[in-house]
Amino acid sequence: MRQKTLEIYSVELGGTKDMEKTDEGDGKEKYRGLKNKCLDLKKNHQKEEFRKELDLDDHKLSNRELERKYGTDIIMGLSSPRAAELLARDGPNALTPPKQMPEIVKFLKQMVGGFSILLWIGACLCYIAYGILYSNNTSSSLDNVYLGSVLILVVILTGVFAYYQEAKSTNIMSSFSKMIPQQALVIRDSEKKVIPAEQLVVGDIVEVKGGDQIPADIRVLSSQGCRVDNSCLTGESEPQSRCSEFTHENPLETKNICFYSTTCLEGSASPVGTATGMVISTGDRTIIGHIASLASGVGNEKTPIAIEIEHFVHIVAGVAVSIGILFFIIAVSLKYHVLDAIIFLISIIVANVPEGLLATVTVTLSLTAKRMAKKNCLVKNLEAVETLGSTSIICSDKTGTLTQNRMTVAHLWFDNQIFVADTSEDHSNQVFDQSSRTWASLSKIITLCNRAEFKPGQESVPIMKKVVVGDASETALLKFSEVILGDVMEIRKRNRKVAEIPFNSTNKFQLSIHETEDPNDKRFLMVMKGAPERILEKCSTIMINGQEQPLDKSTARAFHTAYMELGGLGERVLGFCHLYLPADKFPETYSFDIDAMNFPTSNLCFVGLLSMIDPPRSTVPDAVTKCRSAGIKVIMVTGDHPITAKAIAKSVGIISANSETVEDIANRLNIAMEQVNKQDAKAAVVTGQELKDMSPEQLDELLTNYPEIVFARTSPQQKLIIVEGCQRQDAVVAVTGDGVNDSPALKKADIGIAMGIAGSDAAKNAADMVLLDDNFASIVTGVEEGRLIFDNLKKTIAYTLTKNIAELCPFLIYIIVGLPLPIGTITILFIDLGTDIIPSVALAYEKAESDIMNRKPRHKKRDRLVNMPLAVYSYLHIGLMQALGAFLVYFTVYAQQGFLPSSLINLRVEWEKDDANDLEDSYGQEWTRYQRKHLEWTGYTAFFIGILVQQIADLIIRKTRRNSIFQQGLFRNKVIWVGIASQIIIGLILSYGLGSVTALSFAMLRAQYWFVAVPHAILIWVYDEMRKLFIRLYPGSWWDKNMYY
Amino acid sequence: MRRQLRSRRAPAFPYGYRYRLDDQDEVNQNYLADEEEEAEEEARVTVVPGLEEEEEEEKEEKEEEKEEEEGQGQPTGNAWWRKLQILNEYLWDPERRMSLARTGQSWSLILVIYFFFYASLAAVITLCMYTLFLTISPYMPTFTERVKPPGVMIRPFAHSLNFNFNVSEPDTWQHYVISLNGFLQGYNDSLQEEMNVDCPPGQYFIQEGNEDEDKKACQFKRSFLKNCSGLEDPTFGYSTGQPCILLKMNRIVGFRPELGDPVKVSCKVQKGDENDIRSISYYPESASFDLRYYPYYGKLTHVNYTSPLVAMHFTDVVKNQAVPVQCQLKGKGIINDVINDRFVGRVIFTLNIET
Repeated sequence: MRQKTLEIYSVELGGTKDMEKTDEGDGKEKYRGLKNKCLDLKKNHQKEEFRKELDLDDHKLSNRELERKYGTDIIMGLSSPRAAELLARDGPNALTPPKQMPEIVKFLKQMVGGFSILLWIGACLCYIAYGILYSNNTSSSLDNVYLGSVLILVVILTGVFAYYQEAKSTNIMSSFSKMIPQQALVIRDSEKKVIPAEQLVVGDIVEVKGGDQIPADIRVLSSQGCRVDNSCLTGESEPQSRCSEFTHENPLETKNICFYSTTCLEGSASPVGTATGMVISTGDRTIIGHIASLASGVGNEKTPIAIEIEHFVHIVAGVAVSIGILFFIIAVSLKYHVLDAIIFLISIIVANVPEGLLATVTVTLSLTAKRMAKKNCLVKNLEAVETLGSTSIICSDKTGTLTQNRMTVAHLWFDNQIFVADTSEDHSNQVFDQSSRTWASLSKIITLCNRAEFKPGQESVPIMKKVVVGDASETALLKFSEVILGDVMEIRKRNRKVAEIPFNSTNKFQLSIHETEDPNDKRFLMVMKGAPERILEKCSTIMINGQEQPLDKSTARAFHTAYMELGGLGERVLGFCHLYLPADKFPETYSFDIDAMNFPTSNLCFVGLLSMIDPPRSTVPDAVTKCRSAGIKVIMVTGDHPITAKAIAKSVGIISANSETVEDIANRLNIAMEQVNKQDAKAAVVTGQELKDMSPEQLDELLTNYPEIVFARTSPQQKLIIVEGCQRQDAVVAVTGDGVNDSPALKKADIGIAMGIAGSDAAKNAADMVLLDDNFASIVTGVEEGRLIFDNLKKTIAYTLTKNIAELCPFLIYIIVGLPLPIGTITILFIDLGTDIIPSVALAYEKAESDIMNRKPRHKKRDRLVNMPLAVYSYLHIGLMQALGAFLVYFTVYAQQGFLPSSLINLRVEWEKDDANDLEDSYGQEWTRYQRKHLEWTGYTAFFIGILVQQIADLIIRKTRRNSIFQQGLFRNKVIWVGIASQIIIGLILSYGLGSVTALSFAMLRAQYWFVAVPHAILIWVYDEMRKLFIRLYPGSWWDKNMYY
Repeated sequence: MRRQLRSRRAPAFPYGYRYRLDDQDEVNQNYLADEEEEAEEEARVTVVPGLEEEEEEEKEEKEEEKEEEEGQGQPTGNAWWRKLQILNEYLWDPERRMSLARTGQSWSLILVIYFFFYASLAAVITLCMYTLFLTISPYMPTFTERVKPPGVMIRPFAHSLNFNFNVSEPDTWQHYVISLNGFLQGYNDSLQEEMNVDCPPGQYFIQEGNEDEDKKACQFKRSFLKNCSGLEDPTFGYSTGQPCILLKMNRIVGFRPELGDPVKVSCKVQKGDENDIRSISYYPESASFDLRYYPYYGKLTHVNYTSPLVAMHFTDVVKNQAVPVQCQLKGKGIINDVINDRFVGRVIFTLNIET
């Protein structure tokens, strides 16, 4: 009876058949996709799948057969013991949450990830070395034990830290997954009971009314005006009616099955839509459950930043291990004791590994995540912060993401003119001409011929946010008229309704009869709205400029043109007409009989057309443009109709104003589609049906050839296919979506972005990021932050890597030249984990150097985080300069204390002899072993301070990669100065406060040694400014290619 | 570098199909490769001095390692083979005549640039070191806080502070005698009289004049050590179980003991029965370092300076047991109880004289 509702409203442009075909095929595709997936899962879930196959014909069975199949009784319901039995067999009616990695495994993963393995090896070697020493001489020094313990401490601390950071960001999300326990009204033991929906079992008879969420997959047994919103399943925002009749082979298309987690709409129809149904599957066996399991079946890709960090770890570990082994061999061949060689190996590894870096990266990412959360992008997975920055394709869902997800009046047609209505979020400025008397009539029809009402008690709420009882189109009309005319309910009161024919699918119109508000006018006003062509049929006159004129052919043509045009915009068009019933025939006391239709329904006066659409959010077109200029391709993937999809794509700029599809060109040139040169078309609209017939190669071709693509009528599986297709192009793909149907694609994408308000839990679970305001524009912010963080991470890494050379050189020189050790391993750890941590985090606060939204996204495989110029420049340029500066401080300290540099060469053996207590220096003074050791620690401290001072310069130069520091502003990033202050304070504490702790090997240092490396620090700055200057002066030159990192 | 390149290339060929398919080609490639390398090497030899070459080599090393590292993680042999091929291509690409993704021209440009870069760095560090030397006097150390207070050392000393010997077995103590004799050669009276001046005792031997003027040194004659001089008893008492041990205070430039209070030496049993050592004779008898040996002006000008000594003659020590002995310096400005440093102002050794 009401089952055809949908069709009346849908746009019919002579393509109805095509569309239906598409629908059908598409439905099959969905079904097939599921089946394919079933096959995939068969190994694990054979039994379940078998059951599922049987489930699928439930919609074809009669009530009797159903009763038999599920052993239930439609009137009496299940018996409680039977229900308990089934509950025990099938488990609760809830989706199994995605498997979480056990906490301990997560923790251990942090413990062995990254550089940890190297450090573990180092620590083990330390203990082994001590063990060997101890077995030879029980009073051997504890240095190795200290070092080993410190290394283990470092690994554990950084591991715990990373784990904590990760746990913190997951906790934010867990709040989302908490659902309010759902209740269901069920008939058991022939009584109606309210039980938690989790306890539903197959065969239960449940009652659903408007506003409820469907508690399980149910086969409708009887219904009264029940309509469901399947948008979370199909992406279609059209409400769909549900009845007990079997209407379609495909269970997804048939009208007698309601799906789990879809909602039953609150209709304006009285009584409120209700339905009674039998539960046919629960929990994971529901359609939604299958899609959810499809999502969890999709493997999680490694994030681009994880790949980059891995690459970086490989480089550094490779350098560390190879230099370590090289010098191990050198040491052994230089006749060093093997044990000493092992200790050198450890020291080289420690010097080369930036222990604090991974923790810094985590902090940096979480800082950005926090910043993004403030801008309504909630990041679930820290690494996703950067992923958004490298995104090159965004596959966006339409409904709710690009659009406001509510019907809104977009255009009006009256007086032979099309007027544009304001579709922005607040409707505030309706500029069309409201002076015409036609508009007065039209507005009256819109107001009166409408059953939607505001829910009471919302006086203070802005009109657009008020909750309305009624379907989407009526809501749109109600709000539209409320905005323009003011209090609609008051107007309706003044024009008392005397009779009404609600919308139904046979009439395809809605009609009501009212008294007029003019007390002198005793006529009744009949108002009618409905499918435009049906309304036109009933009319003999048309109102132009307030005058009724006969409806001739030319006006009819004008009507058709307007209708086609509005329909072509993907809008749902309604026609409006009215008739003043003559007072003589219909006196005030006339009783209207709805069933007998004792009033005229023809020869009415056509007033106008009104079209509605789910309009794009006002921020979206701008955001799409920004994405474009940032080199990001935006693809629309929707379950909606191609025409609507294309219209929205055009209005938000996904299909730009001057680009055409093949069909457009064919239409314009009036030639067949085959004759069109495909190169001319920049845009493409592809339906799920067409996609189904494509080979992966064809899809690849499609994706590469068209810069502007819209996929319409796609199923969850096809979304997955599209994402995979994009990923084959080496693109980093972001997927936005809100429905359950999007969740597999969200999971498959490099970064899945779910909508926070409209999004279903399944979508949020599968996503890496949640947009709290459902606003596509937030993605642009995210992209910007992501790109900035990538740039800043480069700076952080360059900063951190630089000092590695300054830390490494001492050991190499020590081994080869035999100087007293310039810097101790533990001192190195104090740099890596002490003075350098805050400055490297501070680099994350650096502002962008140029407009990062105007460049292309980075290429996943070519634009690496750590590239050759970065490593070479850090290691061989700045790093080496730093080493020289630090050595200068070291030599100064030794020379001023009595050991001139020349006397230090090859002194190592004598120096380290425990029983040489009268070692002569350059002045003939004699030193005891402990005095030398104290001097050595002073040397460590001096070297440490030397590195520290130059790291300050390094920090400043790393603020920019291309611009001069003075262009960037030396003081714009305050955190940098906090970093520098922290460096100095930690340095002061270590060299003066902790100078007496033996295990730390620091010693008091004269204040003047702090300034020895300052000229070198300045040199570093000057050199880097020169580098940047040449890069700016000669872009693309050899220098630019080799020196820009 | 060339050796490396070749050794890396070598395993790339023998297992593959390429070996079989185009032997000739491979030979050509190898030939070309060698030619190129030689050209490169020549270029380097002509342009680049040794240091530069070292740096460059190091860098290449790194690059190779990196490449290798990236190549890891593919378990299957096929993938390994493919990676190896890519690596091989990377090391030497015959088509584009590129090694490590650079042409010979590019490599020489890099070498030149790095040469200039490192040359200027070397200049900078030389300048810095030069300035450093300008500020440092070769005669007086700038600071002496780390070498103060003075340490103490004994002779004879050979790696060990345990004097274990058997009186009746000369082999067990002969090396002490030789060591002492050797050590005291510089103190021979004739030598001291010839080189050094006899200055008045009990006061500093202060020499005015410029820093760079040669300074005179006071005589410390071997004969001051009397019974421990080795002149009368050439075995320094070892043959009788009464060993002589010489104690020397570490030299420190400018160090002056308190005026009128010379640094004294006193020894006693460190742990255990005090009576294990019944008597010690000190030479010079004052058991002190005379003030005339101070201050020390540094080895550049104070060439003939001979450290004053105090000889301890352990005339009556318990035999056949280890006796730990601690000899301490005493005097103002002397610290002898630093926990970590057992040689500052004191020295601890054990005597184990067997008969």
